[in-house]
Amino acid sequence: MDCAQIRDAFVQGVVLPNEAVQAHLALCPHCHELFEHDAELGRALAAQATAGAAFPEDIFEHIAAGVARETGPRAWLRSRPTGLRFQLLVLAVILLVVAGGLLRHRPDLAEYPLARQVLLLGGYFVLLLLTTRKELAVSARRDDHVSWFLAALALPVLAAFVPATEASRHLGPGGALNCFVYGGLFTVPLAALFWAVDRDDRPTLRSVCLSAAALGLAANLVLELHCPNGNLLHLLLGHASIGAAWLVAWAFTRRGARPSY
Amino acid sequence: MAAYIAGDKAAFRELFQRYTPLLQRAMARDLRSTEEANDLVQQTFLHLHRSRLDFEPGRKLKPWVFTIALNLKREFFRRSKRRHETSLEDDRIAEPFEGPRGQERSDAARETARALSQLPAEHREVIELHWFAGLSFPEVAEAVGSTVAAVKVRAHRGYVALRARLGAEVPDPEDLRDGKPSAERSQ
Repeated sequence: MDCAQIRDAFVQGVVLPNEAVQAHLALCPHCHELFEHDAELGRALAAQATAGAAFPEDIFEHIAAGVARETGPRAWLRSRPTGLRFQLLVLAVILLVVAGGLLRHRPDLAEYPLARQVLLLGGYFVLLLLTTRKELAVSARRDDHVSWFLAALALPVLAAFVPATEASRHLGPGGALNCFVYGGLFTVPLAALFWAVDRDDRPTLRSVCLSAAALGLAANLVLELHCPNGNLLHLLLGHASIGAAWLVAWAFTRRGARPSY
Repeated sequence: MAAYIAGDKAAFRELFQRYTPLLQRAMARDLRSTEEANDLVQQTFLHLHRSRLDFEPGRKLKPWVFTIALNLKREFFRRSKRRHETSLEDDRIAEPFEGPRGQERSDAARETARALSQLPAEHREVIELHWFAGLSFPEVAEAVGSTVAAVKVRAHRGYVALRARLGAEVPDPEDLRDGKPSAERSQ
């Protein structure tokens, strides 16, 4: 006998064999409260469990109509398994990094130690993967998306303090806007893909935070490979701020979304 | 679920018939209106449809459905910037009981509903999923993303608090044992 059987017996008004109940109570301290004082609590909860409102008959037709409207490329994309949606986003990130970073890489890339580059780029990429996976997962959602976003925002800020070559530090903050626009525009296709695979009609704060975090990380990954400027102010204004900008843009553009059913 | 994934439309209707009363009850206990509860139930089924290819054969469907539903309910409260209310359930419990001492039985049932609504959300959630949605504790744990031990402790604390709240006006067990609102019994 387990807790669920105890519950079912109460709900169905079945009198259980005393030995079986006692055997369960001996092992399960959690069910004791249900049986004390002539089992008043168990019976009270059972009475509540049987109460229920009649469900409108036409509700199934509404749902069936909503399901029937699930057609087209976006409906197809958002209904793919989470593993496939994740792989699509990762593929898009790789293409962006190749197009915006590797094919247009900074001239001083070879001047930096390999370990520094691997740690920095690897840090961005791993956090990007984890953020994306978290955004897509069908699981009990914890309210940790704001702290997750702040962590993703903090990484480029911390990276701005990583030692750079003397020449790059003396380039000055100029060109920050160019980098901001470059990183922002390069991540627009990724933002479109995030929107396309999102299963929520109305954006949740969670999806806004996590996708903005991922977009900010992707932009910084591209810029780390592309921009030779190591000036602190330039990095903070032109690179690290992109995640925050995506959060604002994402929140505003998706605010007017309406349910599709 | 496997039949539904394979494209059997009748299977979707069967899923609907099986889970709608449970979902509606889970939603209705916290929401102001039946329309809001029904809206969230519809969203749950739409999400279920969109997520159907994520379902792993052999896995239990009920906790998975409730995971989707609870996520939607949390988001609804976040968006509407309000905490749970229990007015819908109070209204339902307010339906008259038939027979002798019907008014007393209605009052007792209302007291139980009110005591439940005053529990901390984390305690109330596991009690409602276990008692009203019919999930076992392992299923509750899966639905809320916690461990079995943790949800049992939460339920136990909820029971203790519930008995303490009901202490002043303990419903007579005889009143509640097989009592149902008259409207429901007449169906």
